[in-house]
Amino acid sequence: MMNVALIALIILWWALITYAVLGGADFGAGVWDLFAVGRLADRQRDLINHALGPVWEANHVWLIFLIVGLFNVFPSAFSALSIALFFPFTLALLGIVLRGAAFIYRYYAVDTKGWFARSWGRIFSFSSLLTPFFLGGSAAAVASGQLLPPNGIANATYIVSRISPFVLTIGAMAVTLCATIAAVYLTVEIMDTEHDRELAESYRLKALIAGATTAVLGALGLALSSIESPILWHGMLIRAWPVVITTMIIGLATAITLYARYYRAARVLIIAETAFMLGAWGLAQYPYIIPVDYTIDNSANAANVITAVLIALVCGMIIVIPSLYYLFSVFKLPSPAPGLQRHANEQKEPIERIEHSN
Amino acid sequence: MSNLLAARAQMGTSLAFHIIFSALGVGIPLLLCVVEGLALRTKNPVWMMLTRRWARAAAILFAIGAVSGTILSFELGLLWPTYTKFAGAVIGLPFLLEGFAFFTEAIFLGLYLYGWDRLSPRAHWLCSFPIWISGLASAWFIVSANSWMNTPAGFVIEHGKIVGINPLQAIFNPSTPYETVHMILACYVATGFAVAATYAFAFLRGKRSEYYRKGLMVGILMAVIATPLQIISGDFNARYLADYQPIKFAAMEGVFHTEQGAALKIGGLADPNTGQIHYAIEIPKGLSLLAYLNPDATIKGLDGVPRQDWPNALLVHSSFDGMVASGMFGLLVALLFWGLYWFKKRTFPENRLLLGGIVLAGPLAFLAIELGWMVTELGRQPWVIYGYLRTKDAVTTAPWLNVSFLVFSLVYVLLSAALIWLLLQVAHRPLPQVKVVREGYQVTEPTIADTEEVGV
Repeated sequence: MMNVALIALIILWWALITYAVLGGADFGAGVWDLFAVGRLADRQRDLINHALGPVWEANHVWLIFLIVGLFNVFPSAFSALSIALFFPFTLALLGIVLRGAAFIYRYYAVDTKGWFARSWGRIFSFSSLLTPFFLGGSAAAVASGQLLPPNGIANATYIVSRISPFVLTIGAMAVTLCATIAAVYLTVEIMDTEHDRELAESYRLKALIAGATTAVLGALGLALSSIESPILWHGMLIRAWPVVITTMIIGLATAITLYARYYRAARVLIIAETAFMLGAWGLAQYPYIIPVDYTIDNSANAANVITAVLIALVCGMIIVIPSLYYLFSVFKLPSPAPGLQRHANEQKEPIERIEHSN
Repeated sequence: MSNLLAARAQMGTSLAFHIIFSALGVGIPLLLCVVEGLALRTKNPVWMMLTRRWARAAAILFAIGAVSGTILSFELGLLWPTYTKFAGAVIGLPFLLEGFAFFTEAIFLGLYLYGWDRLSPRAHWLCSFPIWISGLASAWFIVSANSWMNTPAGFVIEHGKIVGINPLQAIFNPSTPYETVHMILACYVATGFAVAATYAFAFLRGKRSEYYRKGLMVGILMAVIATPLQIISGDFNARYLADYQPIKFAAMEGVFHTEQGAALKIGGLADPNTGQIHYAIEIPKGLSLLAYLNPDATIKGLDGVPRQDWPNALLVHSSFDGMVASGMFGLLVALLFWGLYWFKKRTFPENRLLLGGIVLAGPLAFLAIELGWMVTELGRQPWVIYGYLRTKDAVTTAPWLNVSFLVFSLVYVLLSAALIWLLLQVAHRPLPQVKVVREGYQVTEPTIADTEEVGV
């Protein structure tokens, strides 16, 4: 029988993937904001504002969910991670805070072209660039199996001596992956709402470039892991290789659909790509939470507490998932949602359907 | 600055900052729900103007609330890893449930704040319900976790290990019913006075249209309902604390020595070295009477525990008195307003002194929240989990916490300055133009150029 800690870990990993494909896209959009220069700049900024506005806060909650989930299910590992990753987490936290605040300050600035909006716009894009780098680098430091010193006691400064090409490569890959996801989503968004071919073409090209960079960095990371991250590499060889190969195939398929301008298909594929990539990491690292000192078994909370957590998760998801679906169907998906306005002849008609249910 | 002090300073600053936004995050959605409901029902465009105006401010305030809350969830681990290891095992569940409440809140906020042109008026209004309900739930969950830190329950320690964990017992620890109710009411009190104060200020500056009067009255209506309940809840809390957290209670009331028929000491400065309260007003036997309805009841003093386990009596006593005084001032102002309103046969009281009092009650209500938290948190010291884990043993081993404190303090200064500037800008925008159309409203946000009516 599967133990409850493993079930909880799988759910947390799924939340990690969801954060990467939703929250990651919001960071990626911030990265593109940095490159929004020249003739299309204003149109791009408007697009990014519209794309992020209704959803960024909900997307961000996946991170909170991950943090509280981890400290419920693996409290001792959470505590060790908090010490060992003190510096990268503090920097990522500053990035997360400034990103969110800067986005909203820019969005609601009364003068959208004034110094206030422009300065916060800069802060928004720089913090969107730095946050995924530190989060990705932290993940790589965990996966490397060398986050904790040989005595197994977490130490905040130890990580400084463990900064390796592998860690830096994965940090950079996290940035380009976010940028790729964002560019793919934005092409769909442009075609759905603005019907602006010129802008869509520009984001298609950006997605292809960022995607290719991600592939190169990913391959480099994989190669480096054989030297710098033996546990991960070993796990890839014995367990995760089919997932790694699938990730590569999906990556290629994403590029092909983008090239052929099947944007909706590319959106599905880039989500799958991210899921498989993070899935491969999880599978390769099994059964460690922090290799090699913290495993699922030795760091899991009492089984009855985890069971209570799982029950809470199910109850919570029953509320959250339909609500999320409703949010995305109102703003992002083509499917008709209940409770929408009818725009018939510019005149508002009475609307009877008001239920939230799906 | 020592690492412990730096960590406490950073945590305290973060909480003091975040709590303002979380109080507004609980209170404003309920007001939005009420005014938008009135707009749909009465077809009076002024209600819709208020809704639109508050929603714009809410979008900014709630985003800052979300990011400052994120800081706290990280800081629990980054600053207090030993605490999280202990608390995560026992009282993690309400944090997770709060995560779901935050989720629901964020989802429906997205729909509410950005869905004006997409959702039908009724669907839009319905989206405000999950927001205020989940805001309420969030507050309850987080405060139940804090209650557990004051009166830990739902586990036993055997051979240095935590065993026999019962998450439900931990959530429903003895403090939970008292603390959660007191905090949630505080959110409504503070939001009500904040809104009332804003419009009272505008009114004093000569803006007297229906829009400003209605805005003020909705705010002070919420305040006049919540404040008396809050004072009753405060009384329950004090009597509960006298039994279950006697050391905190002793620090609050400045009782250094266990005594029968203790006097109530109002104001003054507690001096732990002499065991006296200087410059206080004393009501003989008042404290025993208030706490136990018996003038000769025994009140436990700080001398019940060793000196090293005393909280800072000076700060706790003064904070407590400041909180109570702010609350009483709010009650007075709110009652005067409604008293005058009924006495003058339902006309809006325009007494400048009273309106000035309402302006003052806004910031005082938030001061009361801050001081109340100082009573709770400082009153628990030197423990982080009362009786089990000392604050000094919970702090991280990471170095340079004073640098971290400095950096985060600068971030708070930057965020606050920008926020105040932006809110003032938004407040000076011309009011939205609302027209009633069939089955709804047509709202146009005028640009700055065609200014007609400006303000708040």
